[in-house]
Amino acid sequence: MKLSLMLSFNKYFFLFFFIFAFSVFSEAQPCSIALTGRVTDESTGVALQFATVYIETEERGAVTDSAGFFSLENLCPGKYWIKVSHVGCKPKRIQLFLNSDKQVVFSLNHFSAFLNEVVVHGKNGDNTTQTSTTIASNEIQKKSNENIADILESIQGVSTLRNGTGISKPIIHGLFGNRVTILNNGITQSGQQWGNDHAPEIDPFIADHLAVIKGASALQYSGSSLGGVVLADTREIDDDPMLKGNVNYIFQSNGRGNTLNTQFERGDKWALWRVTGTLKLFGDAKAPDYFLTNTGKKEANMAVQLEKKLNQKWNTELYYSLFETEIGILRGSQVSNLTDLEEAMQREVPFFTKPCFSYQIESPSQRVTHHLLKMKAKYQPEEKTFFDFTYGGQINNRREYDVRRGKRSDIPALSLSQNSQFLQASLYRQISSGATLKTGFSGNYTDNTNNPETGVLPLIPDYLSSQAAGYVIFQNKAGKLFYEFGGRYDFEKINVWAISRTLPRTVEKHQHTFNDMSFSAGSRYPFSDLISMNVNIGYTSRSPEINELYSFGLHQGVSGIEEGDPNLSAEKSVKLVVNTDWKIPPKVNFQVLGYYQQINDFIYLQPQQEFRLTVRDAFPVYIYQQADSRVYGADFLFSYEPFYRMRITTKYAFVNGWNLDENIPLVNIPAPNILGTLAFFSREFIKLKDSEISLSGKYVFRQNNLLPEQDFMPPPDGYFLLSMEASTKKELAKSILKFSVFANNLLNVSYRDYLNRLRYFADEPGIGINFGVNYSF
Amino acid sequence: MKTIELLFILLAGALTFVSCEKDDPEIPNEEELITTVKYTLTPQSDGSEVVFLFRDLDGDGGNSPVITAGSLRSGIIYSGTLELLNEAETPVEDITEEIENEGDAHQFFFISNANISVQYNDTDLNGKPVGLKTVLTTGNAGTGKFKIILRHQPDKNASGVANGDITNAGGETDIEVEFDVVIQ
Repeated sequence: MKLSLMLSFNKYFFLFFFIFAFSVFSEAQPCSIALTGRVTDESTGVALQFATVYIETEERGAVTDSAGFFSLENLCPGKYWIKVSHVGCKPKRIQLFLNSDKQVVFSLNHFSAFLNEVVVHGKNGDNTTQTSTTIASNEIQKKSNENIADILESIQGVSTLRNGTGISKPIIHGLFGNRVTILNNGITQSGQQWGNDHAPEIDPFIADHLAVIKGASALQYSGSSLGGVVLADTREIDDDPMLKGNVNYIFQSNGRGNTLNTQFERGDKWALWRVTGTLKLFGDAKAPDYFLTNTGKKEANMAVQLEKKLNQKWNTELYYSLFETEIGILRGSQVSNLTDLEEAMQREVPFFTKPCFSYQIESPSQRVTHHLLKMKAKYQPEEKTFFDFTYGGQINNRREYDVRRGKRSDIPALSLSQNSQFLQASLYRQISSGATLKTGFSGNYTDNTNNPETGVLPLIPDYLSSQAAGYVIFQNKAGKLFYEFGGRYDFEKINVWAISRTLPRTVEKHQHTFNDMSFSAGSRYPFSDLISMNVNIGYTSRSPEINELYSFGLHQGVSGIEEGDPNLSAEKSVKLVVNTDWKIPPKVNFQVLGYYQQINDFIYLQPQQEFRLTVRDAFPVYIYQQADSRVYGADFLFSYEPFYRMRITTKYAFVNGWNLDENIPLVNIPAPNILGTLAFFSREFIKLKDSEISLSGKYVFRQNNLLPEQDFMPPPDGYFLLSMEASTKKELAKSILKFSVFANNLLNVSYRDYLNRLRYFADEPGIGINFGVNYSF
Repeated sequence: MKTIELLFILLAGALTFVSCEKDDPEIPNEEELITTVKYTLTPQSDGSEVVFLFRDLDGDGGNSPVITAGSLRSGIIYSGTLELLNEAETPVEDITEEIENEGDAHQFFFISNANISVQYNDTDLNGKPVGLKTVLTTGNAGTGKFKIILRHQPDKNASGVANGDITNAGGETDIEVEFDVVIQ
């Protein structure tokens, strides 16, 4: 048996050898191609000396001269993987096809020398006048133990609304929830986005990069994104026959959390494929003085991505992802009425705090499953035109468990199933050398059902929503000026099946239709290579969502009775964003973004004078109302490199929200915050590459723009947090090992945050140290 | 270009075929709901029964609850019995039993600013009070408020809790109803 195996192995080996030898000989003749070119800095255009241009497949390379030039000769025709690297720059891997002598220019991004640095701009050559900020994959890998919103928080102008450590959602320029669109791989994330304690069901590790578009409106994606758009995009799979993999593990001391991510991909003949998987297990987090009992989390995610080029004209993509999580919510934060809340607020240590650590998750908790299936076909009949056809199907199941009487804690108090179907067809056409037209239309269908297993009257009713939308965007480049304008129309029909609040219980049917228009115009102008400016103005109208129209019942999160208003009209917003970038090479980079947004008929929860008596005493009543409001603010980013390998970064953001009709502040607006980072970088240090160490201090001010009657408790005091990060890389023969250490809240400060619902009950987590290892090949 | 046009038409077609009908939602069986709190006081000597009744048939929201309270006589010892019902269900569900069975996870508290004192007259598995059965003693004539609170998962070992002091009890409130009380 063994022998025959050997024989057949030998047979195949020889066969393989002959094929290989033949292919080498057959192509061996014209190996005289020269690849020449230049390496420059992406931001300044300055030539880079001593940059390495390395042909991976040939295992040879060249180094640039003082003018940034290099040359590589005697190359055979074929496909090559080329790696371009330079001290303090992020290396770039590029695939090239060589048939004859070729001249190329490689540009490296010098400003992202620091691997953890949030890239200031979108991808190079992003054709938009919108201001966007991107977080790259290596930063995501290092923080893959965090929620997507927590990672986004490193962007100036983005904050996080939390319900403890496990649940967080992004706030962009003061707005969140229904007003922020999250695109998961190009598909609008569908789910119970209206809930303040409903986190987006996306595993950040699956994303190659995360981007936040802070612009006035993003017509291509959604008509309701008053605040901004979050993009979680995967990367295209390289047509590389070598198997590539990435295994990432993070241990976090606070919560004794374990995060394991894996990713494998290869360009096979039948298709290009990528498989990603994530497992997370966290236990109770610890505030400086006590354990936060029942704040553990379990999560399991996976994604499969396939790409297949059918022919020169058709390119297809299939993507499926599954997100599954179980999140514990601090036991001491479940309150049944105002008396409970008042008592809980007076406690030094929350009720039900256990003296020891546990991985166990009990009620109150959430269990969420989210499926996403995406199919995309790109048809390019000619170079200047292509069509995109996208289908997106999503199933979202959400179950929320409360501590209940009579062994009912295992029965969810809220159980929702949502199924949504999305279809879109888009056309991109290059009209002339600088002008592009983008247009498309889409349909979306959402079916939302309450499962009757709860034994509780649902907070939001069952509904069906059918939407249709169309958009047109025109872009043009006239000299140095780049400008765009566009419009979008959204139609929505919503059918509602509500259960009456009076006896006998009956089903009441309602129907609404909404027509929304959005317009946007913007321009970008580089005054020089060093100073550029973009201005964007957009009008958006957003029709009210189901919770704003029909929610009815006790909302535990706010200890009040929440009532929707079926007569609400659409919100109408005008937002102006002005962004300027200044570069004083090679040391200073400065970005200022200012925005002003007027929102007429802004929908918000207004506390009423009335208290409603129930068997659990009186509850305050909140009703969805509309008022003209405005939001303005600014984001600043400043970076300075006083010495080579040292960098200082400062970020500052403030936002002000005001209800003009009532003349009161808007609630849940982030307090001003400032972040300072001092980082040191070393290209090579005792055989370790790209080592980096940084110290960051963050100060979040007290939210003073709030009236005492707008909250149960005055906003918490400002706080200062110190964190430290170190990472390095060891290059092995064919693989890379990365190590990172990240310490949060180094001074073990006890603090509370205004944007965390748990501020009424407990302190935020204390010191935590994360250790990460990443192995990639 | 033909196939493309066809695809566009198909897509538009698919969108119009989306249904607008859906099954009526199943009305959940609100078995956990407490609609009625009935506190019956029987004088230990002679005299007539006094009933404190809180009733909110449609649960939270909807119509306001109906609250009635009889008047007490001064200087009398009453035997108190609490009864909890879910009258939204047919047949009416008696929740008292559920509380009795989970006695160790529940405790009633009686708070008043009138001349009333309430003693527990029952115990759970651990010998701690529950409050379904009580002894109520009235003092001098007067008026005031009388509150009945039911806590789920209170800390019965905390200081004063076993004697009816709610201060350190914690837990979640299942019932908190208030009556106007008259002692004649």
